[in-house]
Amino acid sequence: MSSPKLESLVRQTWRAVCLFARFLREAIPRAYAVAMVALISWLTWMAVSYLVSSLATEAGPPAQVMGLPTRLDRSVQAASRTQFAAMDSAEFPRSPLAHYHRLDSWIQPDRFNDCTRSGCHNPMPHAKRKEVRAFLNMHATSIHCGVCHFDSAQTPRPLTWYDLETGHATTSPAILQAFELLTSEKTLKQRAEPTKADQDQLVALLRRAARAANDLPALNRLADHFAAVHPSSEAFQRMLDEAAGAVPRHFRGEYGVKLALRDDSSGAPQLGHPKTESAIAAYLAAKDKAGEAELERLLKAVHPLRRETALNCTDCHRHEGSLIDFAQIGYPEARIDLLVNPIIFRMIEHIGAGRPFRLPEVVGPGPLPPPVPTTRPPG
Amino acid sequence: MAGAARLALTLPAVGFLVCMFGSSRLNADDPDNCLLCHGYRGLSRFDETRDRVHVYFVDPSYSSAHRGPHARLACTACHERSEVASIPHEPVSPVNCTRTCHLSDPGGLERRFSHDNILPMLAQSAHSAEAISKLSFTDGPLLAENQSLCLYCHDEPLFRDPQLTIPNFKDISSRVFDRCDVCHSDKVDVDINYYVRHIASRFQPARTPLEMAQACAVCHSDRQVLRDTEMKDAVASFLRSFHGKAALLGDFSTADCLSCHVRSGSNAHLMLPPKDTASSVHPANVADSCRSTICHPGADKQIADTAVHLDLPTAHGTIEFFLAATFIFLTITTFGPSAVLVLLDLFQVIVGRKAHGEERAHRLAHKIMSDPAGRERLKRFSVSQRVQHWVLSLLFVMLVITGFPLKFADRTWAGPLVALFGGLEYARLIHHWCGIALVAGFFAHMATAFMGLRRRVRALQTSGEGGWQKAWVEMPMWISPTDVKKTFQLFAYLLFLRKERPSFGRFSPAEKFEYLGVFWGTALLGITGILLWGEQISSHFLSGRAFNLATIAHTYEAFLAVIHVGILHIYNVIFSPKVFPLSTATLNGNTPLPKLAEEHGDMIEEVAREMGVTEERESLYE
Repeated sequence: MSSPKLESLVRQTWRAVCLFARFLREAIPRAYAVAMVALISWLTWMAVSYLVSSLATEAGPPAQVMGLPTRLDRSVQAASRTQFAAMDSAEFPRSPLAHYHRLDSWIQPDRFNDCTRSGCHNPMPHAKRKEVRAFLNMHATSIHCGVCHFDSAQTPRPLTWYDLETGHATTSPAILQAFELLTSEKTLKQRAEPTKADQDQLVALLRRAARAANDLPALNRLADHFAAVHPSSEAFQRMLDEAAGAVPRHFRGEYGVKLALRDDSSGAPQLGHPKTESAIAAYLAAKDKAGEAELERLLKAVHPLRRETALNCTDCHRHEGSLIDFAQIGYPEARIDLLVNPIIFRMIEHIGAGRPFRLPEVVGPGPLPPPVPTTRPPG
Repeated sequence: MAGAARLALTLPAVGFLVCMFGSSRLNADDPDNCLLCHGYRGLSRFDETRDRVHVYFVDPSYSSAHRGPHARLACTACHERSEVASIPHEPVSPVNCTRTCHLSDPGGLERRFSHDNILPMLAQSAHSAEAISKLSFTDGPLLAENQSLCLYCHDEPLFRDPQLTIPNFKDISSRVFDRCDVCHSDKVDVDINYYVRHIASRFQPARTPLEMAQACAVCHSDRQVLRDTEMKDAVASFLRSFHGKAALLGDFSTADCLSCHVRSGSNAHLMLPPKDTASSVHPANVADSCRSTICHPGADKQIADTAVHLDLPTAHGTIEFFLAATFIFLTITTFGPSAVLVLLDLFQVIVGRKAHGEERAHRLAHKIMSDPAGRERLKRFSVSQRVQHWVLSLLFVMLVITGFPLKFADRTWAGPLVALFGGLEYARLIHHWCGIALVAGFFAHMATAFMGLRRRVRALQTSGEGGWQKAWVEMPMWISPTDVKKTFQLFAYLLFLRKERPSFGRFSPAEKFEYLGVFWGTALLGITGILLWGEQISSHFLSGRAFNLATIAHTYEAFLAVIHVGILHIYNVIFSPKVFPLSTATLNGNTPLPKLAEEHGDMIEEVAREMGVTEERESLYE
């Protein structure tokens, strides 16, 4: 490029830069002034409207008092824990009036379950058979619908845990891992001398388990105690015995993870019927106006993986031929023994057959055994 | 045969349950083993036809951690054993709270217990079953058919945290239990942990004042109930009172509904209507209720005239309503014009308008400032004034952040802000002492102003130009007729009705107005604040109504101060384009040149005249 041309280009560029700088010099104060006008006007409006409404508007009590849920209706199911608790400022937020027992939190919502998040099914979907509906819903906090309702040719069923925070496949619940450490053949108790690493692992598992179970104080306390003593001390050994008895009391389905069918190719949890988005949309659009045959067709398209009949409780809760390999998914021996106990099997079968199951005489008539006095805080 | 089958099923089940919950300790927590199922939070179902979620969960920690007075009861102490002895359970009858249960005392002895002694008290009270069962609610019934009416006020009772009564409970509990163990572990069996929790909990009310307001609001704030009973929303008005706001901020010691509505020494269930001569809030008794030993023991009976349930929007025709309306009117008419002035000033920046005389004043000021003596003459604030300003600023901010959470107690930010100070008690303490410091500063400033006035009087008297009257009238912060005239001229200029922007002397009318506002505000806030702080003494010479008026004056005046300072003053000294990011006048007394030239041209001219400085032709802008 020749020198005059270059010079002209530089001059033009410089002129453009100067023009732009001048524009900025003038524009920035103006833009700033506009922003200040908006801010001051808004603040003034807020102040004046507060003043006027303080005298002119009749208002009831604030949300801290009136925002509590008065009924356990369908909105409760969609509420998160804190929303349900409704109020942080009270020491003990009140449950809806008709519900006497304290309900200061709600089950952890499953944001990854396609069956419920599609809007088709309720988070507590079982409502038909009085004998088992609440029991089945109880399982919904730790088992994805697909475990019982999706078809799978394999026995035992291919299963994986998934994280309720991420929806991704993960390890077994922390509380099961902690229980494994406390009770399995490789138990800490049987090691010659538990190390600091063993102690840290147990404490971390108990804390994770507590967090998953709505910050359960009892598990946190247990973790605190384990963290406070030396791993090779006698106190640590005593606590291991105590904990082996105490931890199972907190197997209550709040694990922060759920069990789902595992996709064989990817290893990911199957959280819905694959490629059914448009079928779901079509069903939801037509469900109120379509005829019976049409509805059946739409439902079939929505549920390509559905089993004709869902699994029964005893398909899994059985010693021989259980569809779930509990050991493979991380259940410790001691827990498996309870889940597949023949007594449980027969009890469930009895109830499932529609026959009322008489509770054993532990709750029978007569005076109750008095509580054993203790001078120690429980847990 | 059926019996044999049942036995065959039952015996192994017993074995299973005993294995599963073999520890006697666990059995003590849940002797009926109901938590085997009911301890699962997911044990529930949704009844779509009735739009109702049935939650069968019972928190196991209630019994295992002894969280309340019912923790040692078996489920079948309240629920019919025959109805829950089979799965699925029989339809369960509503719980009768007056049934007799087997209560196990901390020593492990069984006693028969019932709440049936409450019934005759309730029958006499304003909350009789007859009255309560007639209520209908805005969104339909709140309880299921035949459910216990006790549920309107009560839910599962919990022990309050012993830490609240015994702050170091957590630290000492272990040692206390060790000492108790000496005798109570085997010789005299007593469940010390439960015992201590129960007793410590009873050292304080079972509910916080806020929880009490929640319980009462169920009926006393329900629109339908209020319509049917022709009552006013007592909870809403309570929550606007000092006590209610303290309750909203989590204060445990403030008065709650029971503090006034239950006679001292009487059972809470015997709450009588105000018309009943035995009621604690009957006009003949209410003064004594206020003056109880734990509330306002040193107060005069006049304190009872204070309206705890004052609801301004419905208090038409009262002096309280009139005073609030007056304050709102004054706020709008004083703050409004100042805000318009600022907005119009910003509009000049947007359209790029510059005042004619500004350039000349700028040149003159620049020239004066090149001489150190001139620079000193153009300094608008002395060291003493700047120190006073910063002390005032600090106190103002402290007063606002400790006082406004109480005014806006229902806002989400109020609680955390108060918590920063360690709770309402400490926030109030800081507020009171900052208020005292502000009043002291006010008197110190008055003394300084008086000294200046006296010096001026002496100078006038020496020169024979006048005396006290002239010095008083000429005090620099008075708003003169010229100031009023120039203010109108400024409005005309900003509205493009006039070409020349008026210029002012050392202090502009807006600054004088702000100064006098602080003067008036400090006096008013100080007087009303002290009256309210010392309510027990004040009540001896003022009616309780005066506290209503003092509260209104204090809060509305504080609001005016906050919006004036927070919006306009902060703009003028920080965000105005002429001073941003901070007016140096607050630090070294020198107003930034653009602002000085635009607003204080008369002062520049006067200093130039006195120093013999003349204008030069060349423009500094070129």
